Amino acid sequence: MASFLRHYGSLIGMASIVLFFWIALPDTFMTLRNWLNISQQLSMLVVVAVTMTVVMVMGDFDLSVGAMASLSGVVAAVLFTQGLPVPVALAGALAVGLLGGLANGVLVSLLGILPFVATLATLTMFSGAAFLVSGGKTIFGRDIPQGFADFARSGLPLGTWDGKPVLFPALTLLAAAVTFAVWLVLEHTLYGRRLYAIGGNAEAARLAGVRVTALRLSAFAFTGVGAAVAGLMYASRVASANPVQGDGLMLTAIAAVFLGMTVTRDGQPHVLATVAGVVTLGVMDNGLTQLQVDSYVRQVLVGAIILVAVSISALGRRAIRLR
Amino acid sequence: MTGLTRRDIGRRIAGLTLATGLATLGTAAFAAGEKVAVVTPYLSQPGTQFYVEAFQARAKELGWEVNVIDTAGDVAAVISRMEDLATQGVDAIVLNVDPAQVGAGLDAAAAAGIPVFGMDAGTDPRIKANVTSNGYAMAAETAVYVANRIGGAGNVVMFVFDAFPPVQVRGAIADAVFANHPDITVLDRVTPDVSDGGIADSRAKMEAILAANPEPGSIKAVWAAWDQPALGALQAIEAAGRQGEGIVITGIDANPQAREAVATGGNFEATVAQDFAGIGATTADTVARVLAGETLKSNVIYVPTRLITSANAQE
Repeated sequence: MASFLRHYGSLIGMASIVLFFWIALPDTFMTLRNWLNISQQLSMLVVVAVTMTVVMVMGDFDLSVGAMASLSGVVAAVLFTQGLPVPVALAGALAVGLLGGLANGVLVSLLGILPFVATLATLTMFSGAAFLVSGGKTIFGRDIPQGFADFARSGLPLGTWDGKPVLFPALTLLAAAVTFAVWLVLEHTLYGRRLYAIGGNAEAARLAGVRVTALRLSAFAFTGVGAAVAGLMYASRVASANPVQGDGLMLTAIAAVFLGMTVTRDGQPHVLATVAGVVTLGVMDNGLTQLQVDSYVRQVLVGAIILVAVSISALGRRAIRLR
Repeated sequence: MTGLTRRDIGRRIAGLTLATGLATLGTAAFAAGEKVAVVTPYLSQPGTQFYVEAFQARAKELGWEVNVIDTAGDVAAVISRMEDLATQGVDAIVLNVDPAQVGAGLDAAAAAGIPVFGMDAGTDPRIKANVTSNGYAMAAETAVYVANRIGGAGNVVMFVFDAFPPVQVRGAIADAVFANHPDITVLDRVTPDVSDGGIADSRAKMEAILAANPEPGSIKAVWAAWDQPALGALQAIEAAGRQGEGIVITGIDANPQAREAVATGGNFEATVAQDFAGIGATTADTVARVLAGETLKSNVIYVPTRLITSANAQE
């Protein structure tokens, strides 16, 4: 029973949240349109959380992702204002993400600074750089190319429903592609298995011939680029960029990974579990908004759900140990 | 598989309690009345709180069910919540964010046939009406105050910020008022660096202008498009020991620091207060008009502002 709860308790919890909203909102919750909406709303968080999973697999984490998302959006927007073509500006922003991620990797793996300290410092630097690059202003309006802003509103036409066209959102497709890529890397390559080995026991992995330093360094490139991609998605969605807009992604992404860890068999972070965590958080936001629950009450509830899930998982683990 | 332990039962009870709690919250929301949602990323800012409280008070009289959603600075979340509200089918959405940044949310509301209103938000074809203060009128109040105080003659220093549209219109009006007085000369039209809040750089710029114009009476007035440069200019004049020359300073916005300076009766003589509570209440009235079937002629509705001088600064 304990092991059943340990393995399925959180999944059942997640399913019951969905079921609850389905019953409370019979007409509007369990509809294709609403779920496409939710998927689009969560697309940025999915990209950050899924790439965050890569470093959390090794027991590390990256606090700088939110600031990097803000920075990448601002960098692209400033390049737009310089009249550069969209692909060049996007490449510039992604390059900033890659460099930032590698910088984190160097600090954590080569210099051996604790991830908390190293990425807290780079968080501050990226955030300061975003203010510097943008001059502290929101860049919007004619400075943002129409094509870039339209991306977030585009999608694959799925037909019409209730006389209105239904689109499979482009942001969702992009998030799904990133998720698939990271899932392949973590679950189906030697590289991914070695990252899990480092997370299990770094010293043992090193003795077994795994190049821990190089792998740890490279893994941070995922969070950097992932954050940059999410920042560009955010900028496209709001058709503007300001130096703080992505900051909120970091804590929610870490929360989603932790929430996801409660559904995995081995208690390790896994990509699909992270996605389940993100979806749970997103469903709470969507459903509680539709139920007109006060936004502060909503925040408290979301925090409480995370605690409940993690507690169930911890209790389950203890029960197994005590058996 | 072990049997059902006490811990398992505890867990089940905890789960049930949570579900019941959520259900209670849910049913509480299914009361009667028009459902109106206010979405803002800026609820923690003082001005926004005044709007929202006044809006809620008026909405209560109208018997509405108001849901205030604060996304804590997250603009993309404003779009997400607007999409949720469109799905839920509320009767109206009130925004307090630049509509240019939430176009996708406006599209979702339009597709669902839900009218959207701006509470000091900005104009957009998809917004029925934006209720705000008239920047042109506020600038006219202080520019005319300056022109009258100096008898329509003398040198004036202007602090402007043309890069930000709402502030740009203020400068344009002051330009027109001063140009209409042939004996007023605009000595300098300064754009301060606002990255530090605007006071320090305005002070530095004003110190340089004072140094370049050492004769008493060579500067009659400082007209600032908002309060921070006015406060910086005041500091510069006081630091230079020239507060006795009767240089008239005006600002706009009536922030607490500016109100205090005006109340002391020194050089900083006037600023303009927006009626935040009035904006909130008028927004509710505007929503009511549209819900009652009225078609609004203008998509901007102005709420009168008030000139603040030493006579009324402490109110």
